[in-house]
Amino acid sequence: MTNKITIEPVTRVEGHGKVTIHLDDNKQVTDAKLHIVEFRGFERFIQGRPFWEVPVTIQRLCGICPVSHHLAAAKAMDIIVGVDKLTPTAEKMRRLMHYGQMFQSHALHFFHLCSPDLLFGFDADVAIRNVIGVAEKFPELAVQGVMMRKYGQEIIKMTAGKKIHGTGAIPGGINKNLSIEERDTLLKELDQQIEWSKGALKIAKDYTVEHLELAKEFANFDSNHLTLIREDGAMDLYHGNLRAIDKDGNKIFDQVNYQGYHEYIAEEVRDWSYMKFPFIKSIGNEDGWYRVGPLARVNACDFIDTPVAEEARKEFMAVTNGKPNNLSLGYHWTRMIELVHSIEKIKELLNDSDLQGEDLVLKGERREEAVGLIEAPRGTLFHHYKVNENDQVTMCNLIVSTTSNNEPMNRAVSGVAKKYLSGVEITEGLLNHVEVAIRAYDPCLSCATHALGRMPLEVKVVDCAGNVLDKKSTN
Amino acid sequence: MCLAVPMKLTAIDATGKGVSELEGTTYSVDLSLTPDAKAGDYLIVHAGFAIEKLDQEEADERLKLFEGMAQMYAEQDTAK
Repeated sequence: MTNKITIEPVTRVEGHGKVTIHLDDNKQVTDAKLHIVEFRGFERFIQGRPFWEVPVTIQRLCGICPVSHHLAAAKAMDIIVGVDKLTPTAEKMRRLMHYGQMFQSHALHFFHLCSPDLLFGFDADVAIRNVIGVAEKFPELAVQGVMMRKYGQEIIKMTAGKKIHGTGAIPGGINKNLSIEERDTLLKELDQQIEWSKGALKIAKDYTVEHLELAKEFANFDSNHLTLIREDGAMDLYHGNLRAIDKDGNKIFDQVNYQGYHEYIAEEVRDWSYMKFPFIKSIGNEDGWYRVGPLARVNACDFIDTPVAEEARKEFMAVTNGKPNNLSLGYHWTRMIELVHSIEKIKELLNDSDLQGEDLVLKGERREEAVGLIEAPRGTLFHHYKVNENDQVTMCNLIVSTTSNNEPMNRAVSGVAKKYLSGVEITEGLLNHVEVAIRAYDPCLSCATHALGRMPLEVKVVDCAGNVLDKKSTN
Repeated sequence: MCLAVPMKLTAIDATGKGVSELEGTTYSVDLSLTPDAKAGDYLIVHAGFAIEKLDQEEADERLKLFEGMAQMYAEQDTAK
């Protein structure tokens, strides 16, 4: 076995999130840019491979949100094999897997990455403002975070079956159902998980309500919002049609079949960034950008179909008198609304005997092109493929949630720079605030080079002639 | 999209913190989410936290994929 692995060209594309703050002649902030090095080699890498392999391959490359990519690819491949509607058992098993993923991802983000900011304040020393600090001061919360994540992982394991070869979702269905024993194991812990989720929701809500003035001044800007939506207007994280609303809640488009997403959404390339900037075509690239993720989903849905989360949604919307909430810090509260919604959905599913059904896979007439969409923890995830008659993928285009949130994150960083940069010197306080603003969006930034809970950021202040006036990194 | 390259856990220090290695650089890793990880295991690391422990077979499969991707990059570089 080789100990040394040589994959450097691939790891090299993952670096720091770089921020450049631009000043005018009077040393006032005009703009700030967040440069994320996005990996786009996958689209080429997958070309020529058999289509049925894709849901598994992409899951192995994207180990941070493997289930979302796995399911988005599988949903596209369902259409490739001619299946528009799965069997009830297959669809419900996939939903269980997806809610399990949503639950563990939101719990990880909240307890391990964001709770230190909320519990200790943005300005607290980074030596304390991390999960170890939380474990010392709030030991029960730290334990809950670990246990909730573990529960979500258990669900994923039980829905996915054997890891190697054909994990979980396969084109046209699923490769296993949920046994009675597995169901009972999950049911045993369920009530405890629901209680803990409500506790986390309360922390996020209380924080936002108590710090509303700060939240209104912190990275607050109007935007459009995009999400999948169920036919009756309910939040649906696994399947639906596309809805986009403007900052006031007016519908830009609604119930759009996502197979034709490219008629509504386009991607702009800007010379300073590797990451594209998606926008709503009818509005144009200047103002057509939009937010995705928990905030967009809660803002854009008409209701949530589980009681505790729906009650929480109403409380959230009441803060802005029923209009969309455009606060970046609103992401934390809405993420916890979705945490509760996910565990409520898990409860519904575990009590549904369809999960023990035997009808797992369907087959239909082969097609050549398909789009798979899912609401991943961080937002809408697009997978688009073309497959030739030899079953090889010939085209692949992905729009990941972090890409859709590219412009919003840039706006958030600009807002923070304008407010917190005084003079030309980058202070620890500025770094902290930039980090907190980006973290609200839970971006898939580089993983490998990350120090404990600290975002790998490099911030530069640049004057209008391009001279670097100051430069600092977080690690 | 963001990639998850498996990192090898090379040691666990006295305080329970892990040391992982990727291409000659070592990183400090929090192991609270993977309590049964031991030196020699491959981990998926996100934001400084080991979020998944891979068995050998799965780690090999993944490293093979990343090597394939590295090769694609190398070929592209040569072609330029």
